[in-house]
Amino acid sequence: MFLQTLVTGLSMGGIYSLMAVGYSLIFSILSFSNFAHGAVIMLSAYIGLALATKAHLGFGLVVTGSVVGAGVLSVLNEKFAYAALRRRRAPSLYLMISAMGCSMFLENMVYATIGSRFYPFPAFFGRQIVTVGGSSLSLLDLFAFIVSIGAIVALHLFITRTKMGIAIRAGVDDMTMCSLMGVNTDRLISLVFFLAGAFAGIAGIFLGIRYFVYPTMGWVTNKAYIAAVIGGLGSLPGAMVGGLILGVLETLISTYVSSVLRDVFSFTVLVALLIYLPNGLMGAETEEKV
Amino acid sequence: MDYILNIVLLACINMIAVAGLAIFTGFTGLFSLGHAAFVGIGAYTSGVLTYHWNLPFIWAISAGMAAAGASSLIIGIPTLRAKLRSDYFAIAILGFGEALRVSLENLPWTNGARGLSLDELSGPVWVIGALVICLFLTHNLLISRFGSLFAAVREDPVAAEMAGINLFRTRLLSLVVSAALCGVSGALLAHRLAFIQPVMFTLTQSTQLLASVIAGGMGSISGPMIVAFIFSLLPEALRGLNMWRLPAYGLLLVLIMTYRPQGIMGYQELTDIFRKARKRFK
Amino acid sequence: MNDSLLEVRDVTRSFGGIRAVDALSFDAERGKITGLIGPNGAGKTTVFNLITAVYRPTSGSIRFEGVDLTRKRPDEIVRCGVARTFQNIRLFKRMSCLENVMTPLLARVACGPLRALFCGPSVRNEKRAVQEKAYSIMEALDIADVADRNAFTLPYGQQRKLEVARALACAPKLLLLDEPAAGMNDAETEELAGTIEKVRRNFDVTIILIEHHISLVMSICTYIVVMDRGALLASGTPREVREDERVVEAYLGRRRTGGKRS
Repeated sequence: MFLQTLVTGLSMGGIYSLMAVGYSLIFSILSFSNFAHGAVIMLSAYIGLALATKAHLGFGLVVTGSVVGAGVLSVLNEKFAYAALRRRRAPSLYLMISAMGCSMFLENMVYATIGSRFYPFPAFFGRQIVTVGGSSLSLLDLFAFIVSIGAIVALHLFITRTKMGIAIRAGVDDMTMCSLMGVNTDRLISLVFFLAGAFAGIAGIFLGIRYFVYPTMGWVTNKAYIAAVIGGLGSLPGAMVGGLILGVLETLISTYVSSVLRDVFSFTVLVALLIYLPNGLMGAETEEKV
Repeated sequence: MDYILNIVLLACINMIAVAGLAIFTGFTGLFSLGHAAFVGIGAYTSGVLTYHWNLPFIWAISAGMAAAGASSLIIGIPTLRAKLRSDYFAIAILGFGEALRVSLENLPWTNGARGLSLDELSGPVWVIGALVICLFLTHNLLISRFGSLFAAVREDPVAAEMAGINLFRTRLLSLVVSAALCGVSGALLAHRLAFIQPVMFTLTQSTQLLASVIAGGMGSISGPMIVAFIFSLLPEALRGLNMWRLPAYGLLLVLIMTYRPQGIMGYQELTDIFRKARKRFK
Repeated sequence: MNDSLLEVRDVTRSFGGIRAVDALSFDAERGKITGLIGPNGAGKTTVFNLITAVYRPTSGSIRFEGVDLTRKRPDEIVRCGVARTFQNIRLFKRMSCLENVMTPLLARVACGPLRALFCGPSVRNEKRAVQEKAYSIMEALDIADVADRNAFTLPYGQQRKLEVARALACAPKLLLLDEPAAGMNDAETEELAGTIEKVRRNFDVTIILIEHHISLVMSICTYIVVMDRGALLASGTPREVREDERVVEAYLGRRRTGGKRS
């Protein structure tokens, strides 16, 4: 029973991690919280749903389509809502309000066009069960967990080992310096948004399979945001660890205490963390220049 | 006639909440994604009091105001003392709002998610009287030294501290006053609609309040008042387009930030414009 | 050092593993101008940030008139009588110049929130008195003519002066000036020297000055503290410092051989 809860928690945590990575990536380079990320995740789930039910594609193609679609959406989101602000060095508050607006726009556009119906994903995994050490674990949970961790490790390798990844890290350190060195910052930022979107795409599919596809499903990303804060906004390993911790804690709470209290608990953790450990578990100590 | 009156009264009620948020976001420069929670606290406190104990309306409103102000201390004291980054604060207060909604849905005397049916007590006299009083008090506060202190904190928190301003107390005062105004708005709203439900006070409502403040202009009260009034009337005027209202608000926020971040009346009041116009005539 | 207003003792502050300020000790004598110089990255501004509690020292003590500042909030320190300007000008941009100078004065007015809410007109009169006081400070710095303009519309040099005016409105005993001459030409710098001297006399303040214009520092400071890589390199009168070989090597020498200040 406990192992089962743990795996469910880890798999939920893996999905949180996927979403948190998107927040962290964007935060690390533009230092603002991209509240529109949730809407991108929601749209990616709809893309996946359309590919699966209308085009009858297999799981691999559905994921690919959703990843590419979400990546493109995320880049468009940046071009449309943030690029102008970024160029005139607007305060991060403005970027955040713009992000809020974007999320409101996208979510309600879906309401207005597709409607508020809850759509189920086709049963890619059925209710297949694997038995490990006497506990029965759902295949979906195991698969979600492994894919999430795999994707994040791949991202980590990309950022630490490839030339493009190193350019991103340089951008994180100092955007102005980067542009002085001849790096095309617009392209760099588009790349970062594409990556964040791609991860949103994977997360959207898993969320959709796990629950349903509906306009406000992006709200779950509030949790992802919490996960990113737990790990330290801007830190990729932090986002992964934060996501897993939150997923496990939440599952434990809803199994052993009360599922109503789960959300209250997450937000209490968030507030407590922000106050006592504002840099999270793995975030760098930020020093405001005075 | 009744129909128009009803819409105008709802617009006035909305304006009180927007004035509250304008003090906090527009003047003090802190971004809140949870002010609808304070409207909700005002609504439920007053609603429960008139529903269960038949308290006189004036006391119910006062209690709603006090409860909203006091509850803002619960979230305000720890977060403002820790001097959180503005986006961290916004998300913390959002969390507070969500936690509140869950609690309202599960408390014994709120009738849960099904909502609470109340008497329609907020007549025109109450609503317009409350609006006038609230705006008068807001005006007093903003022309007093606190108006300048709020603005200094908004412009540069570090420099404000170095000017001898107690950052924590100034921000907390701004939060409590703004929450109290939202509480009044909530109490009136509850007894205007004669029905309240926890889902009426979520992120969507918080964002609408914020949209009014930002479109109206940071550092201005008259701008947000005008916009809040228009925003409340528009959906009624454009009935068929109701479902496009929220996407339009969202788009509006993006466009404002991109093209006119100071909003329609950024950092000035109607009176300033009149004064300038008169100068030009002379 | 018989009459020191500020005593910095063994102050260390590290960020991560780097010691931005390393066991620094110095005094600021009452009524005098103390210069704080050193190459870029020596930790001069960090010292100001430590005195005004933007950062807390990792260890060591900072005493002002015998009172320990290291546990106080920034605004409490201002009330004790310490005011500062910023290297990268931090004005209240969208407020008028006069309002900028009024802010520290308003922060001290005794008027609670309830009075502010309920007694509109009487509160206004109090504000008028503050306005006059602020105006007189601006007059003393020859910037009264721009009182009604928005702070961010001012030319650079006047923005620096406005920052000094705002700091003076805190009624300080100790004024910390962080590179007041940055971006000024020689003529402006010379004028600034006069202004600083005038401020010291008319407002009866002790001054600590961070500055890269060596001639300015040498001409108006009575005592100079030289920092290098967070630590104290030398200190003494301008002449002593000028003749100190370590200083010449670490700082002046580097400039003489054509090293450019960024």
